[in-house]
Amino acid sequence: MASVAMSESKSGRFMPAAFRNATADALCMVAVLLLVALAAFFFGGVAMQRVVTYAAIMLTAVLGLQIFSGNSGIVSFGQAAFVGLGAYATGILTMPTALQRTALRDLPQFLAGHELSFFAALAVVLVLAVVIGLLTGTPLLRLTGSSASIATLAMLIIVYTLLVAGREITRGSQPFYGVPREVGLWTAAAVASVALVAARLFRETSFGLASRAAANDERGAAAVGVDQRTARLAAWVAGVVAAMAAGAMMAQFLGAFSPRDFYFDLGFTMLAMLIVGGMTSSLGAFAGVVVTIVVIEIVRRFEGGGEVLGLHLPVLFGLTQGVLAIAMILVIWRRPTGLFGERELNLLRRSGRKPDMASAAPPQQVGGDKLVADRLSRRYAGVVAVDNVSLSFETDSISGIIGPNGAGKTTLLNMLAGDIKPSAGTVSVGGTVREASAFRFARSGIARTFQNIRVFPSMTVLENVVVAARQVEPDLGRAEAAAMRELSRMGLDKFADQPAARLAYGQRRRLEVARALALKPRFLLLDEPAAGMNAVETAELVSILSAVRAERRIGVVLIEHDMRLVMNLCERIVVIDHGRVIADGTPADVQNNPAVIAAYLGSRTARATTAHATAENQTA
Amino acid sequence: MVAQQIINAVSLGGVYALLALGLAIVFSIVGLINFAHGELMTLSGYALLASLVLGLPFPVAVLVAVTCGALAAVAMERIAFRPMRGASVTSLLLTSFAVSSLLKVVFQNGISARPQAVAMPGWMTGAFSFGDFTIGVGPSISIVVSALALIALEVFLRRSVTGTAMRAAAEDFDVVRLMGIPASRIIATAFLLSGLLAGLAAMLWVAQRASVDPLMGFTPVLKAFIAAVVGGLGSLPGAVAGGFLLGIIEVLLQATLPATIAPYRDAIVLSGVIAVLLLRPQGLIPAVRVQRS
Repeated sequence: MASVAMSESKSGRFMPAAFRNATADALCMVAVLLLVALAAFFFGGVAMQRVVTYAAIMLTAVLGLQIFSGNSGIVSFGQAAFVGLGAYATGILTMPTALQRTALRDLPQFLAGHELSFFAALAVVLVLAVVIGLLTGTPLLRLTGSSASIATLAMLIIVYTLLVAGREITRGSQPFYGVPREVGLWTAAAVASVALVAARLFRETSFGLASRAAANDERGAAAVGVDQRTARLAAWVAGVVAAMAAGAMMAQFLGAFSPRDFYFDLGFTMLAMLIVGGMTSSLGAFAGVVVTIVVIEIVRRFEGGGEVLGLHLPVLFGLTQGVLAIAMILVIWRRPTGLFGERELNLLRRSGRKPDMASAAPPQQVGGDKLVADRLSRRYAGVVAVDNVSLSFETDSISGIIGPNGAGKTTLLNMLAGDIKPSAGTVSVGGTVREASAFRFARSGIARTFQNIRVFPSMTVLENVVVAARQVEPDLGRAEAAAMRELSRMGLDKFADQPAARLAYGQRRRLEVARALALKPRFLLLDEPAAGMNAVETAELVSILSAVRAERRIGVVLIEHDMRLVMNLCERIVVIDHGRVIADGTPADVQNNPAVIAAYLGSRTARATTAHATAENQTA
Repeated sequence: MVAQQIINAVSLGGVYALLALGLAIVFSIVGLINFAHGELMTLSGYALLASLVLGLPFPVAVLVAVTCGALAAVAMERIAFRPMRGASVTSLLLTSFAVSSLLKVVFQNGISARPQAVAMPGWMTGAFSFGDFTIGVGPSISIVVSALALIALEVFLRRSVTGTAMRAAAEDFDVVRLMGIPASRIIATAFLLSGLLAGLAAMLWVAQRASVDPLMGFTPVLKAFIAAVVGGLGSLPGAVAGGFLLGIIEVLLQATLPATIAPYRDAIVLSGVIAVLLLRPQGLIPAVRVQRS
């Protein structure tokens, strides 16, 4: 019995469940690809083999686009440019020296006469791709959303201009010819297989998880320690590498090409393929390329005009582009996530295989740390939201922050979480003062939840928590186990494989708490954790929070309007009004403090009594 | 010579500004970067050509062409974008990209893939002397028209009820709808204005080149995208500033770059743009949008 459990946990450690599942998916897609290639090899003619080769090359390029756009949510129009760069680099590196002397007379010396084999050139191109990816990605990823998309467009134009203008190297807008045609069916299928595996696995790496989380909810991702720039940069570089590999094959497949071949039309075709299949999964990219290539092959036959079913068709320019455009519009309109949805195959998960719940080491108890706000202030255009607040919170305690609406509670909490930069004052964790940065705060042990929940709706419940767990547990297998433990703590383990969007409201709140706890925090900041919950759910939350605090001795700081919850749960209550601390003490103290009654409870009698009292004082 | 270059620079900047402004108006309200904006420009060009071929007097033809641009924009919203309302920004962006490609194919097959000459009145290609300076009529008209259009738009947005509602919608569309202003009217007006601006830009563009082709709107609108991003996506003053900046830099580089480097102009300009964005990721004049915690 014990030995069985041992071997199981060993196999679990050999490869985490997410990677095992991803590898199974990838191998399945590779098998389909190889079957198609085999069929073309044995039964297809030369033309058919060329179509399959072209499809495999495009698949590599589209997978590159999927790795970046699918994970980061930023549509890239610039991917075609990198295919072009890969093609030209390969062209120059593999061209026979004799031919090079006539075709490229002014080629700079260091580029001339290499005459490499395809795979040697590919290796050089891949290294080059990493460098280019880092160079182009660094400025790009300072931008967000649509601005980043337009910046990729600018890159497409820049590269096109360079290819046209750099005549000594590229022959300008004239065709670049004389590249040996060594890439055939099997080379293309092999490279595409590698790209398939890479794209499918990338999703599950910490970079993939982190960039998907950031695409779902930027602030939520920062709050669990995700450094979205690094994650997106990794996705971008991987995308550029795949695109340039595709370009290398394209060069040797075509033999002759010009900059125009790697401009908008190619970019559009790649995007159409990805959108038709579904942008968010490698399955979508794979299926999209297959479907689109079939459509293109059918439509191409009618482009030159002719007779169809007795109808005379005129010669139509750009018919394939038109059909692709219509296909794209229909798909976006009727099925925005693409023909193959936003899910991967998930072969192992579908067959009922539960992720491992090997008992990870129970979270160690923390203690003896302080979260200190020193003379914190925050001003917004004339309004002082938080005014010179100095507070200190300790681990192994539960404190509540209360105050009327607009008192500055959330602003204070955001500053404690590093999410907002204070106008003045500092926040220190365990004695060291920290610059405001939500993800760095999260990594240094300050976890938080949001007033309006920020879970990652399109990721599974388990993935939501794994994103956080990986910040403190680099090993994916152990991170998964830790995440599962937090989920079962919150009673959410049975939903582990469902997208978080399907959870009910109260469950989402609990998921957010589970996610925060997966960071193994020293402090847990909760912004109105019981908002919108019914009495039963609130009672459940209270018991979970006290249990967590007792088990792990973390410091819990919560903002809450539910007075019964605050008075029952908290040992210490801080009352804030107009950005200032007006009371700080035990629930009993605070309840009897006249300033609190006046400011917070806003009772008319209280105000009248105080007014009366002051009036009496003045007359006296 | 220098004066002539400055006039050219400002006139090109004006065209970019009109286009970028049209993009920004739509973006600020529906969050769509309209890739098909260039096709609105092309359509207006063809409308001008058709009106002139039909024998309409030149001013009437221009009026017809600009109106066509504006109506086409409204129609585009109705047919392509309204069914997508509430879709993600990415879906909208890709839809417009597809619409743009589709329209190009339609123009190529329905009209001609080749450029068609447009008979512009002779006085437009002339020049007048101003002391020592010779200044082209076309660029001068272009500057005047751009300036008038910008002023008129500003007055509309500041003074009219719909304009005020649109400015409010740019900051927080949900609240504007709660105030009882119909969303469809705001969106339709935004597209109408952007089409109007695209039509005007098309007239200025055609006036300097005297021909129309299916890809006419492609390059200027690409530049306008970039101008809008540099200015701050969704910010109207930013779009105008970005448009002028881009136009002026382009012409000045064209005039000053040595012949060996001149072909690299676009790459240099756009690298500069990316450098600007590195320093100011939100653009030169960032848009104001409401944020909820």
